[in-house]
Amino acid sequence: MTDQHLTAMHHSEVKVSVELETPEMTLNLGPQHPSTHGVLRLVAKVDGEVITEVDPVIGYMHRGYEKLAEVRTYPQITALVNRIDWVSGFANEIPFMVATERLLELEVPPRAQYIRLVLTEMARISSHLVFMSSFPLELGAATPLMHALRERERVLDLIEGVTGGRFHPNFNRVGGVKPAYGGGSSTKKMSQDLPAGFFDDTKAAMTKVEQVCDDMVNLVLGNEIFHQRTKGVGIIPKDKALEYGVSGPNLRASGVGFDLRQTGDYLPYADLDFEVPIGVNGDSYDRYWVRLEEIRQSARIVVQAIDGMPSGELQAKVPRIIKVPKGEIYVRAENPKGEMGYFVVSEGGRGPYRLKIRSASFSNLSVLPWLLPGHVIPDLIAILGSLDFVLGDVDR
Amino acid sequence: MTESPSEAPAAAAGVAERFAGIVGSDDWSADFATPKVRVSRDGWIAAHAAAKEHAPFFSWLSAVDWSSEVAVGDPPDGDVEARFEVISCLGDLDGNFVLLSTDLPKDDAVLPTLVDTFGGANWHEREAAEMFGIIFDGHPQLTHLYLTDEFEGYPLRKTFPLLSREVKPWPGTVDVEGMPSEENEEAGDGDAEDEGAAEAGDGDADDEGDDEGAAEAGDGDADDEGEDEGAAEAGDGDADDEGEDES
Repeated sequence: MTDQHLTAMHHSEVKVSVELETPEMTLNLGPQHPSTHGVLRLVAKVDGEVITEVDPVIGYMHRGYEKLAEVRTYPQITALVNRIDWVSGFANEIPFMVATERLLELEVPPRAQYIRLVLTEMARISSHLVFMSSFPLELGAATPLMHALRERERVLDLIEGVTGGRFHPNFNRVGGVKPAYGGGSSTKKMSQDLPAGFFDDTKAAMTKVEQVCDDMVNLVLGNEIFHQRTKGVGIIPKDKALEYGVSGPNLRASGVGFDLRQTGDYLPYADLDFEVPIGVNGDSYDRYWVRLEEIRQSARIVVQAIDGMPSGELQAKVPRIIKVPKGEIYVRAENPKGEMGYFVVSEGGRGPYRLKIRSASFSNLSVLPWLLPGHVIPDLIAILGSLDFVLGDVDR
Repeated sequence: MTESPSEAPAAAAGVAERFAGIVGSDDWSADFATPKVRVSRDGWIAAHAAAKEHAPFFSWLSAVDWSSEVAVGDPPDGDVEARFEVISCLGDLDGNFVLLSTDLPKDDAVLPTLVDTFGGANWHEREAAEMFGIIFDGHPQLTHLYLTDEFEGYPLRKTFPLLSREVKPWPGTVDVEGMPSEENEEAGDGDAEDEGAAEAGDGDADDEGDDEGAAEAGDGDADDEGEDEGAAEAGDGDADDEGEDES
C-alpha cells in the first residue's frame, strides 16, 4: 500500500465520521442472551456503538422467597436459600443458620463449624472457577473453560460426597450440620461423619486447583487480547462501589480491603491464616485477578482447616420442634459473590415473621445504570461478565 | 465463634450508641449483636447523610409490615401498632454495620427517597415500593422492579394471601409437621410409636436434632423411616428444578 493510498483512506475515514449521522437507537439485549448468566434484559440506548443509557430489567426469576419464608419453619427455609445463588448453594445456608442459632443462643460444636467452613470455601472455589471459565468464554476464549471446569468438577464431587448434593446441599441443620450417609436412627451408629478418604482427596484436589490457577495465569492473564478487552474497562471507583453496595471481590478489585471473613465471627476464620487480595484499578482485569488469587487463598484455608479439624459432635442439642424466641437479628457473611445477609424478625413462632434476604448480586448489578454509559457495546459484555452475578441471586 | 459471647453484645451496643450520637437519636438497641437506631421520619435523609461519613457502605433497604391481621404465617406475638417499619443497613470498613429504622403510618406510607444520598438505594426502594406499597417521594423511577407491570397488590404486605396456599394446602400428604400457622401439638407427647411416625414424616426436621424421638420409637421401623424421609425431602423442594442446569 502506498502512502497515497493511506492518505486517501485517512481522508475518507475522516470524511465519513464527520458526515455520519448517528441518531440514538434503542438496543434490546436479552432476556435470553448468552452473556447474561440467566435471564437479564438490558434496554440500552446507543449512539453509534457507544452506550448512552441503560435500564436493566430484572425479575424474570423472581420466586418470592421472602414471602415463602413466612409460611415455612426455620429448618425448611434452608431448602429455599440454597437456590438463591445456585453456583455456591452451600455458602447461602450459612448466614441464615447462624442467624437462627444466635436467636436460639445455641453454641455450634467446633467440628460442625469447621466442616461448614471447609464446605463454604469449597463452594467459593467452585463458584470462582465457573467465573474463571465463563468470563474468558464471553470474550472469545474457549480453552480456559475446559481447564477450570475440570477442576471444579473435582471440587463438586467432594461436596457431593459429604452432602449428597452437587448444587443444593441442604446440609446445614440448626445447631450444626447433617450427619453424612443420610442420617436418621438406622444409620446413626454406622457413621455420622465425613466420608472415608475425604481429607486426602480434598488435599489432592486443592493441589490441582492451585495448578489450574497457574494455568489461568498463563492462559488468560498473560494473554494480550484479554488485556486489551479488560484493562481500564468498567472502572468502578471506591466511593461509587460503596455507595451502590457493591461487595465481595468486585469491591476488593476497586481497592477496598474489606472482607467479612476477617472482621466477622460467623465462622472460625480467625483461627486460620489467609490473605485478602486487593485490586488497584477497579477494572474488569482486576476483578478477574482478585478472584483468581482468592481461589488460591481458599485452597490454603481448606488445607489448614482440614489439618486443624477438631473432633466431636456435629450438632448441638436442639429441641425437635424449633421455636425461635422473639427478636431481630441481621447476620451477614462473605459469600463468593459478596455480602450475603439475612435480616430475621422472629415473633416467637416456628417460622420467621419477616425474612429480608440481602443478596450480593442484586447490589452488584444495581451499579450498571451508572457504570455502563460511555462504554461501547463489546465492553458491555466484558463488564457484565466481570461482575460475576447470578440471576437467582439478583431476583431471589 | 471467635469472639466470646460476652464481647459481641458489648461491641454492638457501642456501635449502636455511637451511631445514635451521629444521627442525633437516643433510641437505640443492640439485641443479638444487631445495632439498630430509630430515627424520625422527618430526619430520615439527614440521618443517612450524617451516617454516610462514618458508614459509607449501603447494604440494603427494606421494610417490615407490622400487622395483627395476617393472611399467611403467624401473627405477631401480642398486639402491635399497625405500621410499616422501613429499615436500612449501612456498613463501615471496620466490619461494623448499623440498621436505621423509621415508622410510617399505613394510611400515609410516604418517605423521601435516599437516591441522592446513596445511589444504591434506587433498586432497594423500588423493591420496597412494589412489595409494600410505600411511596418514596422524589424517586426518579418508582416503577415495578420484579413484578410485571400489570401486577396488582403488594405481595409482602401481611394481608396479601399466598395464592398457592389458598388453592392447595401445603405441605401435602407426606409431611405431618404442622406449618407455622397450624400448630401441631401432637408430636410432643403420645405413645412412642406415634412419635416415631411423626418424626419419620417430617422430612428435614427429622435430622434436626435429637434422635431420641426415633430411638424411643423402638428399632422397628428403621427402613420405613428412611423411605418416608426420602419422600418428604423430595416433596419439600418446590424449588428443586430451578438451578442445576443453569451453569
